[in-house]
Amino acid sequence: MSVDKLAYYPGCPSEATAIEQHMSTEAVFEKLGVELVEVEDWNCCGAAEVEDPRVVYALNARNLAIAEKEDLDIVTPCSICYYNLERSNRALKADEALRTKLKGIDSSLDYNGTIKTKHVLDVFVNDIGLDEISSKLEKKVNVKVAPYYGCYIGRPPETAFDDPDNPVLMDKLIELIGGEIVPNFNYMKTVCCGGPLMMTRGDIAFDMARKILDVAKNAGADCISLACPLCGMMLDGKQADIEKALDVTIGMPVVYITQLLGLALGIEPNKLGLNKNAVDTKEILGKVV
Amino acid sequence: MPIKTWELDPNFKNEIMSEAGGERLASCFQCSTCTLGCPITEFVPGYNPRKIIQMSLLGMREEVLSNPDLWVCLICQTCTARCPQDVRIADVLGALRRIAEREEEAGNLKIDSPRPLFDKAFQHQLKKFGRLYDMGLAMEYYPKKEGSFIKGMLAMMKDYKDFGMRMFLKGKMGPLGGGSPVKGMLASKIKQKDVMKKIFEELGEEGKEK
Ligand code: SF4
Ligand code: SF4
Repeated sequence: MSVDKLAYYPGCPSEATAIEQHMSTEAVFEKLGVELVEVEDWNCCGAAEVEDPRVVYALNARNLAIAEKEDLDIVTPCSICYYNLERSNRALKADEALRTKLKGIDSSLDYNGTIKTKHVLDVFVNDIGLDEISSKLEKKVNVKVAPYYGCYIGRPPETAFDDPDNPVLMDKLIELIGGEIVPNFNYMKTVCCGGPLMMTRGDIAFDMARKILDVAKNAGADCISLACPLCGMMLDGKQADIEKALDVTIGMPVVYITQLLGLALGIEPNKLGLNKNAVDTKEILGKVV
Repeated sequence: MPIKTWELDPNFKNEIMSEAGGERLASCFQCSTCTLGCPITEFVPGYNPRKIIQMSLLGMREEVLSNPDLWVCLICQTCTARCPQDVRIADVLGALRRIAEREEEAGNLKIDSPRPLFDKAFQHQLKKFGRLYDMGLAMEYYPKKEGSFIKGMLAMMKDYKDFGMRMFLKGKMGPLGGGSPVKGMLASKIKQKDVMKKIFEELGEEGKEK
């Protein structure tokens, strides 16, 4: 199956800590010939901090309604945004009374439940497809990768689009572009990075992130690949703080899967924001042939 | 812990089950799969979601709502994914946190965690701007957490000095952040901010201005 146009929901970190994920997502879709139309005037999905499901549904109804007007399915590169969009979409599709209630709050929340929500990984592998991507590859990305999936790709069950214990979508893309999956990292693929506790129990968050970085390092990875900006903030953005606080040396490059894919598609590294990752990515660039 | 039956609240489970996310509480059959797979148990000794469910079903309202462990859950959904009874533990814990927050606001409980303050600051920023603004959030959260503006700013400096500079140098925060001269410095605001206000005022207890 092929897609040629999608509504794009960048999510809040796209404007700050995860700008490289945003840049690489746009660049990769362009190269793959899929047009992204940014959801006009999009609002925050509620992240993990809005705990009341009714508020989450309302926040996401507005974004869904904007995409629905364009008659486009929504894609997002952020796992938390995906989870909130998808669970809201499911709740709204199933519950007419909820839709009516939201419409009564404001006309901008008038969503009819006609579109789908997707995570970029799902679109790459299941909609665009590996064959199509393969036909556009220009380079081999000869790196050893620890593919880290985090929380919302394989769980909870209703919104998941990959295996809960051993997800594989990112692995498939990495192998497709000439990379190698390091052994002995599988059991860490879906263990939470600690991000949700960063601001309230930073000590626990640091220990959790450190464990992932250590396992990747011991497995001989050249880099960790990701599909969520909160994981990016913990593993990449905070890596130097973790090294300092726990008195360890790690030095593990962390990149978004869209950045690796972009390199294989022959896109300029700076256009993929590879100069914006906190841990230097030059070594990875040297392995693109 | 000895259970004092005369202090049990038989209605507590109904209270939880009428809260969004808490509906499936009563289907728990105490197999402990949730606790065995929970990543926090490695870092917080004694952390036990199965036990929180059991105490909730028994009606140990005060013990459950004042349990500091409610506030270290990552909402990582591992328990929910593995539960054979579809109890939706991550959502049940969320429902418990919301009941606890209401009790604190009513003056009946003191929550031993800064997390409600953080969540509230986040929601307040979202209500105001429609998007998350990192700097604004930190400026609102730290003084509340530390109890005064000065202490808050000092604690924020301590946590953010290195990280902020790193993000600034990469053009992610500060005057040149966010890919444009203003984006990283100012809050990114949506046009329909009034809708955010309406959503929080009509649906959320947390977003309301005091
Ligand atoms: S896994 Fe489910 S059924 Fe088993 S103890 Fe936990 S909540 Fe109860
Ligand atoms: S959601 Fe909370 S209780 Fe459940 S496994 Fe994750 S940290 Fe543990």
